[in-house]
Amino acid sequence: MAVAASLGVAACGSSSKSSSSSSSSGGSSSTTAKSSTGAGTINGSGSTFAAPIYGQWGQNLSSQGLTVNFNAIGSGGGIAALQASTVDFAGSDPAMKPEEVTAGKGPVLQFPVAFGAITVAYNLSGVASGLKLDGKTLADIFLGKVKKWNDPEIAALNSGMKLPSTAITVVHRSDSSGTTKGFVTYLAAYDPEWVKVAGAPDKTAKWPVGTGAPKNAGVASAIKQTPGAIGYVEQAYALQNGFTTAAMKNKAGQFVVPTLAAASAAAANSPVPPDLTISTINAPGATSYPITSQTFIVIYADMCKAGRTSGDATSVKKFLTYGLGDGQKVEQQLDYAPLPASLLSKAQTQLTQMKCNGAPVS
Amino acid sequence: VEASAPTVSGGRSVLERSPLSRLPDTVLKFGLAVIAAGVLILLGAFFVVLVAQSSSAFSHIGVFNYLFHNNWDISQLGQGAACDTGHHCTFGAWPMLLGTLLTAGIALVIGVPVAVAAALFITELCPRRARAPLSMLVDLLAAVPSVVYGLWGFIVLAPKLRGTQQWLADTFSFLPFWAGHVAGPSYFLAGLVLAIMILPIVSAISREVIATVPVEHKEAALALGATRWEMMRMAVIPYARPGITGGAMLGLGRAIGETIAVAYVIGGSTTVGHSIFQQGQSLAGVIALQFGEAQSTPLYKSSLLAAGLTLFVLTLVVNLIARSYVVRAGRIGDKGPGRFSRFRRSGGGAAAPGITAIEPETL
Repeated sequence: MAVAASLGVAACGSSSKSSSSSSSSGGSSSTTAKSSTGAGTINGSGSTFAAPIYGQWGQNLSSQGLTVNFNAIGSGGGIAALQASTVDFAGSDPAMKPEEVTAGKGPVLQFPVAFGAITVAYNLSGVASGLKLDGKTLADIFLGKVKKWNDPEIAALNSGMKLPSTAITVVHRSDSSGTTKGFVTYLAAYDPEWVKVAGAPDKTAKWPVGTGAPKNAGVASAIKQTPGAIGYVEQAYALQNGFTTAAMKNKAGQFVVPTLAAASAAAANSPVPPDLTISTINAPGATSYPITSQTFIVIYADMCKAGRTSGDATSVKKFLTYGLGDGQKVEQQLDYAPLPASLLSKAQTQLTQMKCNGAPVS
Repeated sequence: VEASAPTVSGGRSVLERSPLSRLPDTVLKFGLAVIAAGVLILLGAFFVVLVAQSSSAFSHIGVFNYLFHNNWDISQLGQGAACDTGHHCTFGAWPMLLGTLLTAGIALVIGVPVAVAAALFITELCPRRARAPLSMLVDLLAAVPSVVYGLWGFIVLAPKLRGTQQWLADTFSFLPFWAGHVAGPSYFLAGLVLAIMILPIVSAISREVIATVPVEHKEAALALGATRWEMMRMAVIPYARPGITGGAMLGLGRAIGETIAVAYVIGGSTTVGHSIFQQGQSLAGVIALQFGEAQSTPLYKSSLLAAGLTLFVLTLVVNLIARSYVVRAGRIGDKGPGRFSRFRRSGGGAAAPGITAIEPETL
């Protein structure tokens, strides 16, 4: 389990070109094998956040003759590749927007596959994990209005806790990322000034203070080496580095520690639109971790009309059937939160909508 | 010579080879011309593609707004139509343009004096036996991959220099763009790392140019009672100045184009910092860090390619200026008989193999 987790982190941190499981048994070019047994090769690209999951799924499916190549180039790149139909599926952290769908080759199906807490990690000697923060305070820290750790605004939330007067060093992502979008969406929800200063929530922001570092691994290392630093990293990185993380105040007014269960709770408590394009940031519910992000697998509803073969469609269906079945257990081992039961059954139902030239995919 | 040779009918020399045997020459000439032209065509193609791809950003935002507006707010572009419908779109790359120029400037201020000093020491002062190994060591700095410089700057230098930077920021806080809380990565740190990265090229060119100073000039200075320092100041440096300037400009070109090392140590903030100890971003850095996510948003992608075009033009201009300086250095040599003759001949011989091909003609 620990090995699997560290593998996953390593794969994501280095944004490896292909978190794949190249099956040595081959069979990738043989179309006859593809159509009859579902064996074959499928190609995806996109989300670096979810890359370890797809890598592990691929590895587990390789014994069944299915090779999964996933190119972790970021969600935006994955969507662009799907629009050009150069891949079978895209991995994207935010759901594909309607205007992005229209720029593609047809209607799409979006499957939520995993959730993850975006943790607020800090490096503050003498202060243990579980410092309480709310959206407004966090926004003020990231706006540069709260400059010291013993600022009254932080102290008010943590009565009885002894806070040092260390200067706060804000650390953020310097590359554009879905993690950033999730994080600033939470800030913007609690502080109207955020949008004025840093712009509407998107994959990068106009950070008024602080220092940027590339990727989760860069932010993690900057937090580690800077006393007084605060930053946001995906949960796996916080666990890996043994970071102290903040308990964040959610919509229901509760302070929630980032755990896999709290991330799954956020997913269970979020409203699910008919096309499953769920957004779990600032979810309602007392047990929901408020800064929870989601990741999707996006495919064309009719892959064959978008230029893929029926064999490809069968392989993708097999891949998704596994991912929305046994694959969910794998996610926990990799420090991701699986889908809650209600959402999982909706996603499995959506799988039956897959078509090849109008006919259902076997 | 041919006139005295015996001839056969048709006026051809018996020694002359048949026209067909000259064919390899023709093929060679043609082949090399095609390959050489390929370089130009490639460069042209880059330019055309960059212009074509960035045109939508420039037409929506305006060239001036794009270059000089301090507002890299991609959410404006994410909403797609925001810039089309007459809505005032103030999206601009000024923070990155400034970051590129500022870090490259800091790199020159720190790097060039060190590089020239190293070149002077190696050519004028150091024992003859140590010359070659020392030059080689300095040139070896160029062999370190830039990502290693970046990681070293980010992981080792940033935490180690935080105190120093803070001290500098506090002590000289009366200077403009100087004060503030130091986090680690900053314009200054990026400039420092770049200074190390441009050292080898500036030093190699300076060494080459200083080696061309005629021995007579130096001996004359010494004979008139000059000290070593006075000799360098009055005979060597004035003579070598255009060449050194050219070398510095080439170093500037290198600093402007450097991507991954800067991306690690500049701090990745797409706003203009208040002091050189604050965080910013460079044109090359923003492309490297944001291109992956930009691909599904056409105007965002176009804006990053526009940053690429800006960088291309900037580097081109700097290199043209560098070239003109080095060529001028060559021309000064032509004025007096014998001056610079050694520079002309130095092609592969004098000092560092590999970097010695820095002759005025070939630049």
